[in-house]
Amino acid sequence: MTDNNTNPENEAGADDRVIGTPSDASGDTIVAGAADPHREHAGPYPAEETHKHSEEEQRRGEKVASLWFVIAFLAGIGFLVAYFVWAPNAAGEPAIADPQIGQYSNMALGGTLALALFGIGAGMTVWARRVMPHYEVSSPYDELPSPPEEKKSFNEFFMKSADESGFLKRPLMRRTLLLAMAPLGLAPIVMLRDTGPLPGDKLHSTLWEKGMHMVVEGTDRKIKVEDLDVPGGMITALPYVEHSEENPHGISLNDKAKAVVLLIKMPEDAWGPDMSEQQLNWTQDGIIAYSKICTHVGCPAALYEQGTHRILCPCHQSTFDAANGAKVVFGPAHRPLPQLPLTVDSEGYLVADGDFPEAVGPTFWDAEKEA
Amino acid sequence: MKWITARRRHPLAGYAVVILALGLFGLGYAFVAPTGTDRAEAQTLAADKADNGQPDAQRGKEIFNKSCASCHGLTGGGSANAPDITDAGAAAIDFQVSTGRMPSMNPDAQMPRKPQALTDEELRDLIAYYEAEIGDGPQIPTDVPGSAPQRSDFSDEASYEAAKESYEQAYEKYISGGKDTEAGMKLYLTNCAHCHSWSGGGGALTGGKYAPEIHDASPRQIYEAMLTGPGQMPVFNDTTVTPTEKQDLIAYVKDLQAEPNAGGIFDLDRIGQVAEGFIGWTVGLTLIVACAIWITAKQRAHD
Amino acid sequence: MSTTPEAPKALRNIGNFIDDRFHLSKTGEKNLRKVFPNHWSFMLGEIALYSFIILIITGVFLTLWFKPSMAEIVYNGSYDRLNGVEMSEAYASTLHIDFDVRGGFLVRQIHHWAALIFVASLVIHMLRVFFTGAFRKPREINWLIGVAIFALAMVEGLFGYSLPDDLPSGMGVRILQGVMLALPLIGSYVSMFLFGGEFPGEVIITRLYMLHILLIPGILLALIVAHFMILWHQKHTQYPGTGRSEKKVVGTPMFPGFAVKAGGFFFFVFAVITGLSAFVQINPIHLFGPFTPTSITSGLQPDWYMGFMEGSLRIFPNWFDFDIFGYAVPIGVLVPGLVIPGLIFGGLAVWPFVEQWISGDKRHHNVADRPRNAPVRTGLGVAGIVFYGLLWLAGSNDILSETFSISLYATTWFFRIFIILGPIIGFIVTKRICLGLQRQDRETLEHGYESGTIQQLPSGEFIEVHKESSEDTVHVLQSKAPVERIDVEAVDEHGVEAPEARGAKGRLRSALARWYTKDNISFEGVEPHSGHHLHHGSHEAEEEATAGSSS
Repeated sequence: MTDNNTNPENEAGADDRVIGTPSDASGDTIVAGAADPHREHAGPYPAEETHKHSEEEQRRGEKVASLWFVIAFLAGIGFLVAYFVWAPNAAGEPAIADPQIGQYSNMALGGTLALALFGIGAGMTVWARRVMPHYEVSSPYDELPSPPEEKKSFNEFFMKSADESGFLKRPLMRRTLLLAMAPLGLAPIVMLRDTGPLPGDKLHSTLWEKGMHMVVEGTDRKIKVEDLDVPGGMITALPYVEHSEENPHGISLNDKAKAVVLLIKMPEDAWGPDMSEQQLNWTQDGIIAYSKICTHVGCPAALYEQGTHRILCPCHQSTFDAANGAKVVFGPAHRPLPQLPLTVDSEGYLVADGDFPEAVGPTFWDAEKEA
Repeated sequence: MKWITARRRHPLAGYAVVILALGLFGLGYAFVAPTGTDRAEAQTLAADKADNGQPDAQRGKEIFNKSCASCHGLTGGGSANAPDITDAGAAAIDFQVSTGRMPSMNPDAQMPRKPQALTDEELRDLIAYYEAEIGDGPQIPTDVPGSAPQRSDFSDEASYEAAKESYEQAYEKYISGGKDTEAGMKLYLTNCAHCHSWSGGGGALTGGKYAPEIHDASPRQIYEAMLTGPGQMPVFNDTTVTPTEKQDLIAYVKDLQAEPNAGGIFDLDRIGQVAEGFIGWTVGLTLIVACAIWITAKQRAHD
Repeated sequence: MSTTPEAPKALRNIGNFIDDRFHLSKTGEKNLRKVFPNHWSFMLGEIALYSFIILIITGVFLTLWFKPSMAEIVYNGSYDRLNGVEMSEAYASTLHIDFDVRGGFLVRQIHHWAALIFVASLVIHMLRVFFTGAFRKPREINWLIGVAIFALAMVEGLFGYSLPDDLPSGMGVRILQGVMLALPLIGSYVSMFLFGGEFPGEVIITRLYMLHILLIPGILLALIVAHFMILWHQKHTQYPGTGRSEKKVVGTPMFPGFAVKAGGFFFFVFAVITGLSAFVQINPIHLFGPFTPTSITSGLQPDWYMGFMEGSLRIFPNWFDFDIFGYAVPIGVLVPGLVIPGLIFGGLAVWPFVEQWISGDKRHHNVADRPRNAPVRTGLGVAGIVFYGLLWLAGSNDILSETFSISLYATTWFFRIFIILGPIIGFIVTKRICLGLQRQDRETLEHGYESGTIQQLPSGEFIEVHKESSEDTVHVLQSKAPVERIDVEAVDEHGVEAPEARGAKGRLRSALARWYTKDNISFEGVEPHSGHHLHHGSHEAEEEATAGSSS
């Protein structure tokens, strides 16, 4: 910042002032200023470039600015008071944990703080506009580029020095130095390798396996076939995983994110022509299970309209036809929602008849390949 | 007009015109836009209000033939522009009529929530007739509190107050009975929020349809909607989501709705990011730029 | 000059202490005398600077309690409604900030509102610079830095939005991961490495936290400092006016005038953001509930600055998707996720150089263009705004559909069509308006302005009296550069084409230059208030006489 002005004209100026050229508009000289009482002052900037307020105006401005500062002060005190008003109780429980009190506290703290800040801003603005003179100072822009002789001198200096250093003349040294840099440059990239495992076939398989029970998400109740007995019914389901030592919360988020399905009970005559024989076999008593994770970019495609049998993803509005193998009927998704094969076990529970036939979730390079 | 003529070249005149025009647009929109009456609060009666006299299926038949049969048929078998209601159940009748969606004047459009058109007695008569003659299906969940009593249905203040108090007690008991927030939240967020939104504010469906907001819905209406799947809504019967779980779910969403906004009095209808961005640009930036204009406004040479 | 007050002793001592060590008197004075032109639109960049400072202050406060951990816990804290709910530590610690730390809720809201205002002010600041041509030589580097700040600010905002691990924020991360997965060949690897495994994994919030509070703000800070130093070095551009020229800047000096004004403005910016945070609830994560990958809400949106990405993901169809040997190439994700932001930011970055190449204008510019005087640039700018704006609106098409009862697919189709038509219409209309304003300018320059005074002539005809424009107006109007053809258009005295104009590239350049300048209205030879250039009609002499006598 110190050498920000490379203009030789400025450096050569008698008093090193950047400022000082009289504006074209005024045209008159400093002597003329004496005739105007407003301009008769000994300020830091040339008199014809400043427009001073009268003493009376300045005094009025001072009063207004001070009033703003006093308001800001009082508001600032108010802020501190508001902070201590809603203190925790003797047991250390915060008063603001009640949302209503929290709202009061937020508005009181914020309101006083905003007023204090505004008061300071307004006071400073009044100060600058009504107490200070009005400056219309001018100053030259830098001349660009540098004069040729300066450029030439720099060029000579630089090339001579570079030559002297031997960097240009001694290629062996230069090239080995560059060679030495190369592995070091690669090292940080190589070291990112352990940020995560390789994909392998992780994205191709989920927790589902043959005979696995399913539960309504949010409960631990296994679903029976007759539970979903009303056509038009729908529920979000997960594989049943027992709570255990290593799984205190049951199924993990990673497994949920891939295994979650939408169970839909279809009316008997609703199946469309695009359902293959196999897909129909994978249904059970009119119940069909689709992956709930959209094949576009992975939001839960959850919005099932029982009248139109459409499944809509609320994020980007990919629409799948539940009666036709969840093929894409609108929107940006690349492929249908994978269907989970369903069957029933001997006790009447709805169970998976294996994993999804293809990868669930956002479409990726080899998503449609066999794992 | 002189006043305007003299000022029309004022440096701020342009801004004034823009602000005025925006104001006029806003006012114009307020007049033209659909008013709130379409989605006005339901004035449903408490179905289990203390009352003498049994439901009268004969009167119910008259109501059915007058208000329902023209579309749904005399036997409830439906027609080209109305569905078969023989297996809809009393819960569906109660839901559709108590939310004012039926009887409908326009069978093509999605019915918005409206004040109930029938009186409470008429509704009960209608349901009695339906159960006796027309069809069968999910029953009305009578242990779930319905809509709050309305002053206009009571002749004197005291009986209204008493009914209101007993209603509020029942409501409180039901909502606070939903103890498992975890289950209620999970069920709501995985099965409802994708249409009705996290706040219950509703959302868009395909084909110009929408999922309505559920703020005005009574616990019983929410329950009935789950049981019967009105419109495009899927069915959540009592075997997939048990009555206790439904109570948890309803308690979750009603608690959420009743909670004051800890972040300030303006909640932007709990729409979320779209409204926040809009306010940031319009209110936030405009106020800041107004301050900038104040700071840099032209000063005459000598003032 | 003899009345200079004596500096207070303490101040003098500090000054001497510093000068003894840095030799700063001369540079100090020079910098304090730095001139800043006065105009409200020159304060827009300052809004961004100040909101950035507010973001740092409030962000530091939030880090005192926030735990960037995805460990699953069962909440048992002060906020009653969610007791017993499973959530991540990140979400629970955000609840702690909201409901246990006094003023924590306010600071979180200030942080969020300041982020919205930060990016918004970057955008309008950039638009100001674009439309006034302030990016031209010698300020192209600063423009590039600005574009980088804008892009980084968006990413910074997205990551910050993702930290509390509430329902919408987790979905933002999910969409990010989905776009990443779509990359051909490397998608699943990139995703696995960033997330440390499968989605959502256990590390993503910790990693985003590092990026959000350390790496990206560090880079942003460096870029902002560089941006400001370059501005300081090159001095600010100014609008045309009396006494202002390419060689000389007119405005308020840094000390004392501008320092107080700019300081006051900081407090205004802070006050408005705090005022919003006090009364308007933003991002109520305690109401959303914690993230689970299986849940979603309708009306799900990112913060506004990611809206255009959301919009392009929504409206771009899957018609161009293809499979190659069974491998999926989801163009419907790749174009909105990579190509469209690439177009927007890449286009912004190269524009100064493209314009220079087309127009051949390699001169220095310190006086800003009036947008009307560069109709093609202004038209392109408006086309860009329309393009961006439509994508942005498309990102909320479900809210639009619900609010205005329009069919959801109809809104999608509307945006699909108008994303192409809209910018074209915007360009044509804007260019026409600019040219119309140019004609009006020439008219005003020649005839003065319409005074609003109506006079009746002896012949019975009514005329509106024109008055001479002020000196300043004349300066502004005359600032219009002559209509330029670039050098390659020139033929030498023998009528031979210049070598640069030959070949495909040369011809393209000539054609673009013609397109860029051909419609401009020439002000050549127009004398201020000369009056007769465009006059046809019997009343002209009278009008001029009236105008003359009134001046």
